[in-house]
Amino acid sequence: MAVAARPIPRAQQHAQEHDDPREHLMHDPKPRGEMNAMVLESMHTAGWRFYAATGVLMLLVLTCFFYAWYYMIANGLGVAGVNRPVFWGIFLVNTVFWIGISHAGTFISAILRVMKIEGRRPFTRAAELMTTFGLVQAGASIFMHMGRVWLAYWLFPFPNERGLWPNFHSPLMWDFLAINTYLLCSTMYLFLPLLPDIAMVRDHTTGWRKVPYRILSLGFRGTEGEWKNLQTAMNIFAFAIIPVMFSVHTIVSWDFAMAMRPGWSSSVFGPYFVVGALHSGMAAVAIVLFMIRSTMKHMTYFIRPEHFNLIGKLMLIVSMTWAYFYFNDYLVPWYGGDKWEKLLQEFTEKGPLWYLWYIMLIANIAVPWLILWNRKWRSTPWLLATVGVIINIGMWIERYVIIPEGLTINRMPFTWRLYVPAVEIFLTIGTISLFMLLYMLASRLIPIIPVWEVQEGQAAHMLRKVGKAQVSTVSDIE
Amino acid sequence: MAEPVMLLALFEDIEPAANGITKLRELGVKDEFINVISGLPFPGRVLGRPNAVTNVSKIALLGSVLGAGLGLFLLYGTAFLYPLQVGGQPLYPIPMAFISTFEMAMLGLMGFAFLGLFVDSGFPSYTPKNYIPEISNGKIAVFFQCAAAEQRQLIESLTRSGAVSVKPAEARQL
Amino acid sequence: MSTELGLPVFTNTSEEDLGGRWGMVIDQDICTGCQACVAACAMENNIPFVGEVDAAYGRSLQWIRIERFWEGTFPEVKMTPYQPMMCQQCHRAPCEPVCPVFASVHSAAEDLNLQVYNRCVGTRYCSNNCPYQARTFNWRDYTDSSLHPELTTLHNQLNPSVTVRRRGIMEKCTFCIQRIRQSEDAAKAENRELQDGEVVPACAQACPADAIVFGRIDDPESRVSQAARSARGYHHLEELGTLPRVTYLKGETDGRRG
Repeated sequence: MAVAARPIPRAQQHAQEHDDPREHLMHDPKPRGEMNAMVLESMHTAGWRFYAATGVLMLLVLTCFFYAWYYMIANGLGVAGVNRPVFWGIFLVNTVFWIGISHAGTFISAILRVMKIEGRRPFTRAAELMTTFGLVQAGASIFMHMGRVWLAYWLFPFPNERGLWPNFHSPLMWDFLAINTYLLCSTMYLFLPLLPDIAMVRDHTTGWRKVPYRILSLGFRGTEGEWKNLQTAMNIFAFAIIPVMFSVHTIVSWDFAMAMRPGWSSSVFGPYFVVGALHSGMAAVAIVLFMIRSTMKHMTYFIRPEHFNLIGKLMLIVSMTWAYFYFNDYLVPWYGGDKWEKLLQEFTEKGPLWYLWYIMLIANIAVPWLILWNRKWRSTPWLLATVGVIINIGMWIERYVIIPEGLTINRMPFTWRLYVPAVEIFLTIGTISLFMLLYMLASRLIPIIPVWEVQEGQAAHMLRKVGKAQVSTVSDIE
Repeated sequence: MAEPVMLLALFEDIEPAANGITKLRELGVKDEFINVISGLPFPGRVLGRPNAVTNVSKIALLGSVLGAGLGLFLLYGTAFLYPLQVGGQPLYPIPMAFISTFEMAMLGLMGFAFLGLFVDSGFPSYTPKNYIPEISNGKIAVFFQCAAAEQRQLIESLTRSGAVSVKPAEARQL
Repeated sequence: MSTELGLPVFTNTSEEDLGGRWGMVIDQDICTGCQACVAACAMENNIPFVGEVDAAYGRSLQWIRIERFWEGTFPEVKMTPYQPMMCQQCHRAPCEPVCPVFASVHSAAEDLNLQVYNRCVGTRYCSNNCPYQARTFNWRDYTDSSLHPELTTLHNQLNPSVTVRRRGIMEKCTFCIQRIRQSEDAAKAENRELQDGEVVPACAQACPADAIVFGRIDDPESRVSQAARSARGYHHLEELGTLPRVTYLKGETDGRRG
């Protein structure tokens, strides 16, 4: 017996069914010359708001970063809030936070490239800039926490008269190796795909401004040999920097896991911190992309709701993974009965700073899980950026809970004491301002969109007729 | 007289450029006298060109070996040079070797890949070169060397193939 | 063990050598909590005054502290024995492997944990890793007379055998290593062995109840070895495996020592 088919009511049709393919960047190609002109114009346009924001940031950097740090070096760490037993405070929180932010850049420009996720094309450079500038802040925060920072060069292994070397048994020296490797390699990885775009800017600039671009472009022209070398180097970097990224935050987590402190010596810290880094990093990418799209000219062509959708999906997945690791780290001491770890959990949840724990859980789990499941909400730039801000606040608090709160409770109850931050607050504002300032300067000095990669993607995408539908296909020309 | 001249044929798109290069080869211009400069990377088979060869991977591999050696020295070499006992841990521990060797090997791999690019492509180079700014605007430029006598014939057949322009190439400051 | 220059030879001591050389026994049952040891240690080792505000915030630099605990609520309060706590000179010290510049190293010669002031860059990982919270940090220049002119006269009582530390440096109890060295030098000059009880750290010297006993643990007949064998003896946080050199004597052993 034939089954009569009935048409689906229009209201129930899938939202994607009648998408205009030109909504997607890869199916909306423009001539390269036009895209170049758009990017150049966005670089050269700076309204009064840009100058006002840059001025404010410069002021904040001068006072809250340079002067506050000078004051602390001159007067000693006593002007900060650290004491016994909380020997590490917000400086280490900031270090971990900024390294976390920097991981998102590598995730997008390396992992998404290796996995050939085409949606990454317009914002790999914006993400890589976050990596470089985030690592600058992390490095600054590490130097800030040192008691005799003017002797920091002793951590560098160099032959000297006394024959002394640094101690590679120490997780801090592993940090030194890993963070320096990551900083150098991600800066090189930022530069490689930037080279053809710098050559483009060189070709379109005249006068004294051309000189730095000519020098930086190294004489790149785009010959077959140069492209082959560049792509080979980029492939090596893309594959190699992924394990480095995982190792860096694992090693940072080992600063805490190697210590004999309740709540710190947990074997799950390695992957837990890596996922936490991705969590705050992806959220920061959403914020940065929103800022770029709303403040820079022509960016609405390059950065579209589909990209926020991609980042939103990644944010949701990472948030779930973070919740999984946090639950692991929580359940084991809750169940296991080590009296010091139970005391620490009690202090975290019911002590004077109980509200931080609740804010952390709401911001890192509840907010993303409630909002990011919806495709329309994910694709709304301002909403995703707001969720990004909330997640970053939650992840900063998570590190605060681990570091200063974790140090307050130890096995010598006579020494328990709360941590009251002082000059660290100014220095935190200083590092955030410096990050934003560096980013704003970079946005006007180098093209923030990798135009050649966008065009490469557009050339590889086409619409194919399958049945009655126009289907997007990507050709894999390697 | 077969005095070689350098010509530049400018193409808008991949198809005409590939056709033009085929035409050039048919008319006797050898592969090593053709140089394709473009604003996008094209694999050899797309334009009908031999695959480019790179030394970057070999240089990078050398770097990773040197890096691994550096990592081992930092852990074991320094402990041998100035032994200091800490925390009851062995003087030549094994777990740290994984960390130190891995990080330095990666640094060597990527650092030498980066330098390999410089070395293999001759970066930085600021002497005048064959180039026109339209390349970074998406055009494909085919520079080729031919005898002065064949010039006109090649120009004609390339223009028929779809070249936007064919004219003498001049080395300019980039 | 020493070379001709008299430098201690640093070797990787084996696990079996757990006896060690210098050790201490503290009898909590006779400690009166008078803090004379705290004062004497401060005088002997040039520990600066940090001022009221910093001391209240947990930044006092005393290398030894008297911990007091109580049970019950007022007025039915029962005091528990006082607990002097200082660097336990762990044989397997957790503070040592974590210093990135080797400022905290182990001395095989004396089996003590050494803090090298001029090498410390102040990362404070060692103090985070000390389970006894025995380490303190110079948060400011507490002895700088240009900053604290009122303290200038106190400079007259500084001990010339001990370094004066500036800001950014970790410090901790050294078992008065300057006194150990002085006595060892005196014994060598007089061509004799060190007698038991000849080396007296400042805290043991000042204690009116004689609750602190110090000496050579590798000599089984020394006073400190005999005291350490007491049935009341235990080590703090023994389960962590730090192998401390300080034995505490307390009536309730909680089955900590057989």
